[in-house]
Amino acid sequence: MTPVSEVTPVSEVRPASEVTTELAHVRARAAGPLALEADAPAPRGMIRLARGDGSGFALPAWPDGATPAVLEEYQVAPVQVERSGETRRVLAAALKCCWSDLTADPWPGAPAPVDDVLAAYRALIGRGDDLMRNWAVGALRRLHDSAWLVVGDGLVRLGPRCASWPAESHAQLRELVRRLPAPGAEAAGLDVLPTAGAAGTAASVTVPEAVDDDVLGPLDERRRAEVVAAFMAVEHAAEPVHEARFPALRDPALRRVLAELLQRRGRVLVPGREVWTSGYADDVAAEAGTAPGEAERAVLTLVLIHSVAIPRAEGVLPADSWSSPFPTQVEELRRHTMMPIGELEAALRALRHAGLLTQVKAGEEAGGYVPGPQFHRLTGRARRRLQEELILAAGPNTPLAAAVRAKRR
Amino acid sequence: MPETNHEITLDSALGEEAVLATYRRMFAALARDSGAVVDDPVLVDIAETLFAAFAEAGEEWLTHEQMRHVCRAYSPDMFENRLRVLKGLGAIREVFPKPNQLRYRASFTSVVGLMFIRRMMDDGGQSEMHRLLALEDLNVADPRTTMEEARASAQNLARAFRLWALELVTLTGGTIEELREQAPKLWGTEEIARRAQNLHGTILNRWPDLDRTCTELRSAIYAYSDASRRAAGRLADSAGTTRNLTLLPAETWRTFAQTASKERLAAVLDGFVFDAPAPWHDPAAIVRAVDESPRPAPVQPTPPRSALPDPGPADSYDAASDGLDRLASVAEGALGTRTSARLEELLTADGEWVSARRLLADLVSIDLRPESPYRLRWSDGLTAGPGAEPAWLSHGVLERTDREA
Repeated sequence: MTPVSEVTPVSEVRPASEVTTELAHVRARAAGPLALEADAPAPRGMIRLARGDGSGFALPAWPDGATPAVLEEYQVAPVQVERSGETRRVLAAALKCCWSDLTADPWPGAPAPVDDVLAAYRALIGRGDDLMRNWAVGALRRLHDSAWLVVGDGLVRLGPRCASWPAESHAQLRELVRRLPAPGAEAAGLDVLPTAGAAGTAASVTVPEAVDDDVLGPLDERRRAEVVAAFMAVEHAAEPVHEARFPALRDPALRRVLAELLQRRGRVLVPGREVWTSGYADDVAAEAGTAPGEAERAVLTLVLIHSVAIPRAEGVLPADSWSSPFPTQVEELRRHTMMPIGELEAALRALRHAGLLTQVKAGEEAGGYVPGPQFHRLTGRARRRLQEELILAAGPNTPLAAAVRAKRR
Repeated sequence: MPETNHEITLDSALGEEAVLATYRRMFAALARDSGAVVDDPVLVDIAETLFAAFAEAGEEWLTHEQMRHVCRAYSPDMFENRLRVLKGLGAIREVFPKPNQLRYRASFTSVVGLMFIRRMMDDGGQSEMHRLLALEDLNVADPRTTMEEARASAQNLARAFRLWALELVTLTGGTIEELREQAPKLWGTEEIARRAQNLHGTILNRWPDLDRTCTELRSAIYAYSDASRRAAGRLADSAGTTRNLTLLPAETWRTFAQTASKERLAAVLDGFVFDAPAPWHDPAAIVRAVDESPRPAPVQPTPPRSALPDPGPADSYDAASDGLDRLASVAEGALGTRTSARLEELLTADGEWVSARRLLADLVSIDLRPESPYRLRWSDGLTAGPGAEPAWLSHGVLERTDREA
């Protein structure tokens, strides 16, 4: 069950603070790059990002240096990026400002004032109105939430995810940064700002060698590529992928190898009708226990009730799934719930950004939110538990709730 | 299922014929013929349609034809059959037995009975049970109630709970589809069990002698609660991953969504793990985004403006400024002192086509300006000189008219 035992002698007693590899991977996926204490090694199968002082981050490494860009070759849609063009242009502007030494790797770069990044963005798109500024600030927030940038104290730093660009692609980025227009004369000087790595040892990125080679080794080149492609697809595609597209999903033997890759990361294959995706293994997820913030969870529950539970109770939603074509109206959430409006708006934004909610637009007024593609990733057990929790919460005095409680006891 | 309850509440009083008549009228809507219960819901619809028509007709009552008309959606056979049964059971009666012009009226009891039945069909009697319990509660608290009445009431309730539990047990052992459809109508909420136990407590306190009856009632309540839980348990086990949501009414969900605090809502998703936002920004995609950046439209400089104040558009069209002067001087030059000149002479004067062409253009222009005093008059003559320039020459006259510009 635990592939960790291969690297850890069974006799060795782990300190309580240490976590299993699976748990580390699960936490990294559920909460973003893991913070590492000084000189702590990265969990197996993770890239170690060391800051000058020895502390750093751990990021999951992908087998055979693949990136989610491989999805494009298979014409599978990756997780949708909100306002992708704008977000990426703002990231380019941040690179222009923060990647001061082009001979080094982009991460960690140097911090740059937010105003410089906005100026670089302005120079890039050639307009400087308020609307552009609002968009850019929104993009900065999204990049911060997804750990591509770290924005705080009026400074922008490159986030840990920037270290996951493969080294081969650095030349392309370098070339881009060279040809981008400079932020312009109004930019503040950088010399007064603290620089990363000033504390002595330089920052470094350690990519683990031969990730999953023990599992992938016995396969020939073609099958190995098929397994890696299927791995990236189930892990990073927005929706479940069809098995006809990926031989490693169709072939039971290769699927076992794929399941093994996933298992080391605390993940399991989640089957649908001829489609597959991946989700958190139930036992590891129970241990991880992480979840979105309280307001986000509350709003998500409301959407599940309005988009799934009520249509189901009215008999208009036949399929046994957590996705639904019935949007929850924003007005309904705003007027007929106990959620404070400010928290509601922020929570909706965060949930949308994480793919937990999908915005449905229909005309001027109509439209709203439905459960997002992440709900495909729930395992059967998680789905059943979600249903039970909803019943326990909404009808605690019904025999149904009593039956649920009795079964759990 | 509903019938069981009627027996319980009414059978104790069935001894008298008057009650029997009430009973017949109540179930007239459900009777297929005078001796049995309907097997087709349409038959009940006919009764309902008729009652609605009677309500509307008021003191006019209804004739046979009028009744037939309201029920025109149903086949005549079916209608006649229903009418016969309803008349037979006293749900529809003659106002006054007058040959050839019979008018009919509907029985109040039947209408109430039908309402009751419809409600029973909808929720299987749960709300009736609530009402019944509330009524019994009032009854046993009433100082006028005798011990015998309380005993009867407790026995009735015990029987109701037993029958209800039995039905649930049967359903629990049957097909899952049937269970899914019927069980939520039958199983009691904790509220019903709690009320029943309260009632039981009240009776026992007031009439300790009724302890045997009360024990029966208590065990019936427990059996019913247990059967409810079992039915729910079987459904919960059999249903898929979201189907059980069907088993709570939509109103329960709405109430929860509208009244639950943020903490209670959030608690539903406690311990669920979801992915953090982690979109992938590929270097190639970043380069593409920069290249596809929407370029602002190039700034277009406004044309230079005169420093002098702009008087705005002129009020009238000033023809003189439009080159008429130049054309006039061309015409004057061609005419000289003459009042008219032959066109073929003017055009051949320079001997080359280029200047002749320009002169011709000018002269035609001035001829077309109505305000100018010069006119061209073309004649029919034509000179063809192969060697000359121009080689073809139409004849005509340029003349100064009297009108002065």
